[in-house]
Amino acid sequence: MIVGSQKPIDEIWNMVKDFKKILVFGCNTCVAICHAGGEKEAETIASLIRMRAAQEGKVMEVNHMGVMRHCEPEYFDPVMDEVKKYDLVLSTACGVGVNFLSDRTGTIPVYPGINTSFYGAVESPGIFVELCAGCGDCILHLTGGICPIARCSKTLMNGPCGGTNKGKCEISENVDCAWYLIVERMKQLGTLDKLSEVLPPRNWSSARDGGPRRVSVEHIREYEEKESQNSETGGKK
Amino acid sequence: MVTSENKAPAGPYRPHGADIKETRPYSPCRAACPAHTDVQAYVGLIAQGRYNEAFEVIRSVNPISSVCSVICHHPCEQACRRCAVDEPLAVRHLKRFAVEQSKEYRRSKRKLLPKTRNRSIAIIGSGPSGLTTANDLAELGYGVTIYERHPVLGGMLSSAIPSYRLPREMLQEDIDDVLAKGVEAKTNCDIGTDIMFNDLMKKHDAVLIAVGLSQSRSLNISGVEGPGVLLAIPFLTDVAFGKKPELGNKTLVIGGGNVAIDVARAALRLGVKNVSMVCLESAEEMPAWKWEVDEALEEGITISHRRGPKAVQRKDGRVQGLEVVKVRSVFDENGRFNPSFDNEQTSMLEADSIIITIGQMTNMSFLKDSPVKTDERGRIEWNTATHMSSVNGVFVSGEVVTGPGSAIAAVSSGHRAALAIHLYLQGEPIEGALPPQEKEKIAQLPADVAEKIGKEPRQKIIHLAPEVRCDTFTHFEIGYDEQEALIEAGRCRGCGGGAVVDTKKCMACLTCQRVCPYGAPVVTAASEIRPEYCQACGLCAPECPGQAISMVSYDVREIRNSMPSVVGAVDAMRQEPVIVAFLCTHHAGVQGFGVLRNVRTLPVHCTSRIDILDMLKAFECGADGVAVVRCSDGTCKYRGISTRVNARVNRVKELLEMLKIGKDRIELLSSSSANGNPWSAVCADFTERIKQIGLRTVRP
Repeated sequence: MIVGSQKPIDEIWNMVKDFKKILVFGCNTCVAICHAGGEKEAETIASLIRMRAAQEGKVMEVNHMGVMRHCEPEYFDPVMDEVKKYDLVLSTACGVGVNFLSDRTGTIPVYPGINTSFYGAVESPGIFVELCAGCGDCILHLTGGICPIARCSKTLMNGPCGGTNKGKCEISENVDCAWYLIVERMKQLGTLDKLSEVLPPRNWSSARDGGPRRVSVEHIREYEEKESQNSETGGKK
Repeated sequence: MVTSENKAPAGPYRPHGADIKETRPYSPCRAACPAHTDVQAYVGLIAQGRYNEAFEVIRSVNPISSVCSVICHHPCEQACRRCAVDEPLAVRHLKRFAVEQSKEYRRSKRKLLPKTRNRSIAIIGSGPSGLTTANDLAELGYGVTIYERHPVLGGMLSSAIPSYRLPREMLQEDIDDVLAKGVEAKTNCDIGTDIMFNDLMKKHDAVLIAVGLSQSRSLNISGVEGPGVLLAIPFLTDVAFGKKPELGNKTLVIGGGNVAIDVARAALRLGVKNVSMVCLESAEEMPAWKWEVDEALEEGITISHRRGPKAVQRKDGRVQGLEVVKVRSVFDENGRFNPSFDNEQTSMLEADSIIITIGQMTNMSFLKDSPVKTDERGRIEWNTATHMSSVNGVFVSGEVVTGPGSAIAAVSSGHRAALAIHLYLQGEPIEGALPPQEKEKIAQLPADVAEKIGKEPRQKIIHLAPEVRCDTFTHFEIGYDEQEALIEAGRCRGCGGGAVVDTKKCMACLTCQRVCPYGAPVVTAASEIRPEYCQACGLCAPECPGQAISMVSYDVREIRNSMPSVVGAVDAMRQEPVIVAFLCTHHAGVQGFGVLRNVRTLPVHCTSRIDILDMLKAFECGADGVAVVRCSDGTCKYRGISTRVNARVNRVKELLEMLKIGKDRIELLSSSSANGNPWSAVCADFTERIKQIGLRTVRP
């Protein structure tokens, strides 16, 4: 899932302070699960903005709302009339949601209420860890299920580097060395010998270097249909 | 929301979650109560100091709440899931506390109800069942007349139950509530003598026969006729109306039921030095409630078990004693009452008076010339699905048709009869419209959950010492004081009042499953919180990021929504800081509300129910400081609460720092009224700390 974290109230305040009517709009899927931007967190941020406005002597109307997802129009279409009553939408969805909603609100700006951090997992309650970089060309079968793109600080395809230190990365003693983990895991799997093969340089065109990406699933996408095919004639003429 | 006063609710009272509860299994206490009193709701309200509301919950299903608060056989307690941990909750005694606390309130609520329906109903008999039907029909806007052959209302409650068990002023409170609604009462009015039954049918649109079982059965043994042998009900009626039947010095009571105990204990209070009982059953088989037997034994009454009466022995016409035979068995192989005797083994029990208490029956002679059919044994023919007799418009309820039972069972029967009469008068079908009497209930406490629940002894119920109470018909039981009642109410596990998930909002994030100390939630496509596991602490609800969890017994948004009115207008010129104090109502105690004028108190079932948003809301509404007052270490009734509440308070501190309001304006504190550190002292200390920090100048 996508993991996010709340922005400091000062930063939010600087974004919103010149607006009169603000909707803090929560997204109840990924960012709710990581307690960053669901409807409840939207309500918390709305409360903080109101308190800050009172401190600054500003008159503002700040409300909150939430829908299941900001990244699929069917979820927010039913409340768009309500959303459009505001001067500003502070979306607590991930960046995807902010972009997606912003494309559909006309003259009303949509600002981000949280920072979108990474694709991650729940290591233990309240602890979220980054495990995938969405590079578009998965090689986890070659690295014991541990991603060097997301989890090695240098995204090395062949590691570890000289900065590995008793299983930790040179950038911090709190960060595991991904290549150390890969070696240990492949030992456990009995596939360590595969590491003697040098992995070739990556083709980054499937990742961000190739520009914005799209995936089209042909059997699911919408098609324009001829009227005769679309009518329920049951094959009878 | 709760405030520092014990506020009277407006309009008919419905506890929070009343509608949701109807869609879910009942708590075992509620399912066991014939009237389905929402025990969990009123005990929870008592724990929060909301006594009037607790009374309203009780009264909403039970018009003889005062009576039941002292005499009910409390099947709720026998069903209490705390039995798996230590002892059941003292539900009846808590009811008594709520009733006693709300005396003025209930009097203030008495009012004449308008007769909105141009129909009248006659009710014959004013016992629990008749009073209940009268109450319900008056509330529906009917004209109701009660016909009672005794000079006072109450049926067996006033004419048979001794006042040491049921003080008459308590009964009178219940009767006054019903009469205040506009119910007419004709006392000293014997149907069949003063008014003919057929005339009653002509005069009213419907008639209810609720005459109970007011006649004692006798024994067909030699010597039974003559002075010195009495029947239970006439004896108890004499006692109830202040007469003093002649008993001598040695009284023997035949019978092993609850009425026999009443008779024996009443005889003792009339000054009989030596009172004994004889019954067919062993101590284990005796039908009387064990606690009543124990109380009788405490008073010095002796019981001869497994003896059957054979003959009353007389000399010169005076009773000398009872010849008894040994009982082989009381019940046959099918468990039916069918005693067998060993006639070879006889013995003599000395007595100069004997009171026969072997069962009751009814006298249906008033129906003699009426079309109401009775069977060969004189019992009224009736349809249990409609409460109607063989005659259209003539209904029956209570013990006259159900057989001997409890007061609360008669209340339940009275409610059903009232609904049946209402439907009949509206021309609607009755069959199938009366609610089912058996309710689905929450399963027993799983063993692994029972192990996690801390033992807390039941608050003792104090009785007058036997040597004191036996000399008087004064009520022998002492009510709880407030401290005892609050502690006892805090023992309730809140079965059936716990967490429920709105599956439309649940995103199956597992948070509830991770935080629950009892393993109640199981998350698959959505969370399901298993009611038999849930202890209603409320820890999960504030942690749910989708706000999908609510508590049946508690509106999770109640605090936030009511915060503006709780905090009130904040005076810019104030000298004292405005403090909002969330108080655990368990061991922190709720006594002493309103002592500190600057503290706005919000009693909560447990501090685990307080959301980060609730704390922020207090500041948003202008509070200078917020105290979250939990119970002291080692006294929390739940597990794993303080760490999580502490984490929430720390999160609020972080947010307050960001807002430059300051982290020290909120604290998690602990108090215990039991160890001399009541919440008021804790809040006074916190007030001083906030004064040091200073009052907030920015106001919303």
